[in-house]
Amino acid sequence: MRKFLLRILVFTLPILIVAYPIDYLISKYLSESNNYGIGEIKIWKDIYSGKINSDLVIYGSSRAWLHISPKIIEDSLQISSYNLGMDGHNFWLQYFRHKELLQFNKKPKYIILSVDIFTLQKRTELYNYQQFLPFLLWNKDINQYTSSYTGFSTYDYNIPLIRYSHELEALIAALESFTNYHNTNLRIKGYMGTEKKWNNDLDNAKSKVDAYEIKLDSASVNLFEQFINECHDERINLILVYSPEFIDGQSFVKNRQEIISKYEYFARKYNLLFLDYSKDELSMQKQYFYNAEHLNKNGSEIFTNKLIKDIKAQMHNKGYIQ
Amino acid sequence: MLFNSINFAIFLPIVFILYWFATSGNFKRQNILLLVSSYFFYACWDWRFMFLLIFSTLLDYFTGIKIYEAKNKKKKLFWLWLSIGINLGFLGVFKYYNFFAASFADGLSLLGFKANLGSLQVILPVGISFYTFHGLSYVLDLYKNRIKPERNFVDYSVFVSFFPLLVAGPIERATHLLPQILKKREFEYPKAVDGLRQILWGLFKKIVIADNCAEYANTIFNHSADYSGSTLVLGALFFTFQIYCDFSGYSDIALGTARLFGIDLLRNFAFPYFSRDIAEFWRRWHISLSSWFKDYLYIPLGGSKGGMWMKIRNTFIIFIISGFWHGANWTFIIWGFLNALYIMPSIIFNTHRNNLDIVAKGKFLPTIKEFLSISITFGLTVFAWIFFRAANVTHAISYISMIFSSSLISIPSFPGIGLTPPIILLTILFLIIEWLGREQQYAIAHLGLKWNKPLRYAMYYSIIIAIILFGGNKQQFIYFQF
Repeated sequence: MRKFLLRILVFTLPILIVAYPIDYLISKYLSESNNYGIGEIKIWKDIYSGKINSDLVIYGSSRAWLHISPKIIEDSLQISSYNLGMDGHNFWLQYFRHKELLQFNKKPKYIILSVDIFTLQKRTELYNYQQFLPFLLWNKDINQYTSSYTGFSTYDYNIPLIRYSHELEALIAALESFTNYHNTNLRIKGYMGTEKKWNNDLDNAKSKVDAYEIKLDSASVNLFEQFINECHDERINLILVYSPEFIDGQSFVKNRQEIISKYEYFARKYNLLFLDYSKDELSMQKQYFYNAEHLNKNGSEIFTNKLIKDIKAQMHNKGYIQ
Repeated sequence: MLFNSINFAIFLPIVFILYWFATSGNFKRQNILLLVSSYFFYACWDWRFMFLLIFSTLLDYFTGIKIYEAKNKKKKLFWLWLSIGINLGFLGVFKYYNFFAASFADGLSLLGFKANLGSLQVILPVGISFYTFHGLSYVLDLYKNRIKPERNFVDYSVFVSFFPLLVAGPIERATHLLPQILKKREFEYPKAVDGLRQILWGLFKKIVIADNCAEYANTIFNHSADYSGSTLVLGALFFTFQIYCDFSGYSDIALGTARLFGIDLLRNFAFPYFSRDIAEFWRRWHISLSSWFKDYLYIPLGGSKGGMWMKIRNTFIIFIISGFWHGANWTFIIWGFLNALYIMPSIIFNTHRNNLDIVAKGKFLPTIKEFLSISITFGLTVFAWIFFRAANVTHAISYISMIFSSSLISIPSFPGIGLTPPIILLTILFLIIEWLGREQQYAIAHLGLKWNKPLRYAMYYSIIIAIILFGGNKQQFIYFQF
């Protein structure tokens, strides 16, 4: 028996010894990937290495990072800008990104928060969990915040290499980053315009259900209000934006108006600028969309220009800028 | 608790250490520990079904004693049928009620009547088919006076609930397992190391081959209308490897785990895809179930003693019941029926015991005749698996009719999932290792034993790295649903 246990120890010892260093190396190089995890890793890395430092930042979901180009903003307003939109996630996780931004970067002067029908929901599963892989064992904030979602187990959070099992693509991405091969930027300052043509997403969704109702998460609503107050306290100008949404898809959510009313209510209560483009002429033109929720590159560029113009005008009216 | 989970990787060493160190080598204490561990293992699935497992154990424990103590055959028969009736009754309610209700309603609707018997929204208790058959073999052996009843409830319960075999077999026999439970077990170094090696190979089969093949098979079967005939053939092949590696991988882990505790379980697989005819295939596939049906159904029905027609009838009966055992769906029944058809020529021409030895024993390659026989048997098996995997009979028929369409002669397209080239290479490597190790209990049983330690360790590390790097998305073991 002693011999057996000793042999087991001899066999497993090398694994135990190298597990942490290997995990560290994989995580280090994966965190330098410019395109893995839909480019979200690059954004986390920019946050933690203090590379955002922008005067104007954009928050939201995919409807933020696909719709608002920081480069157009920079060229037009002559202020630094970065799009921190997070694919597929609601305000709950967007807020976490905001807190991390404030911790590691200078405070922005303006925040454009792209709100939509899903903002005040909270998804239960950790969508696009790949973006957290390099940070999970090494970053307590991410560790704590993501643990309210299903997806990673206790072992993933605490034991080296476990979370990389069955993640060959992550290991390849780490290798690409190490060798600087194919490590091209997927998103520019967090933004990515897509040339996609109109697809069948809406038809497919309609064939499955006639309409559905969004259930608001009360904790997310409270957090949203808390965030508004924090921005006020920090003297950050917060602008709420409901970006274009193709008109045919707008009837799909039964309580859509109730959700938009919520944003209108907060805007009134806290004297915030709320720009709703869901009735704008852009929302009527299919050629600017690739599905009901997302603009294509052409649409996003037109929209960003329009947004800048409207923000300038409104802020001028409100006396925020001369 | 899945065998391929971290939870099990923690559970197993704890039980192992306690078993060999905290029981002072006393087998009674070891059995208590095994029973507690087994119940904990089962409760991790769903503690609500513990009552069913314990009830089934109590039932067979008491009826077993009653059968043994009964003064006459009539009383023996009464207790035997009571046990069979209740055991099969539970199986019927939990596994087959919805099937019978729906089939009855369908039958009536064909005659122009409407019937709605409702359906039970019950979850199938994991392992019910296995532990029920366990218990049945015990009472049937008692009735046939092959064994004496076990009066120690703990020891008997370990026989029924021993955690490596509890949820998906092998289906043990009291004559084989009980004597091992009732005697002192000494730690044997070679046995334990061999057990670990078998666990490692089982994990490789399950995590690398089965789970990856499952992704392709699921995508192709679930969207079969979107694929060409040649791709559908690939889908069937992927499922063929999935089901073998899933179930035999599970069995390897179960057997290896049991060996760590000094217990040998019945072998369940013996390289079935290298069989030269269907009869040989069934001697090598799910051996513990095939032999169960042979001993407790085929032979009691008369076996082959009543002439050719009885032999044919009994063969069809056991294959169809074997299909039905797998699940409450006509697809399984057709799968069983197909296998009965396949085996018929060898039954009629009395050639079913032609291939009892290991194919190409002592040789590197098979002869052309052997290769052709293996290929034909494999092809027939793949075809039958289509019914096993399909959602229903209509799906199976449409799948097959699409295979035999003009698109069969086209380049197959792989679904855009996973990393196809490494997976195909690993599957080919796996097949080569299986071929080379076909004379052993499991493929890597003797592989590298004569190599020096660093080289041997390198092989084990390579398997572990392959499991970590190339493992597919975790899938439930297929046989847990049965």
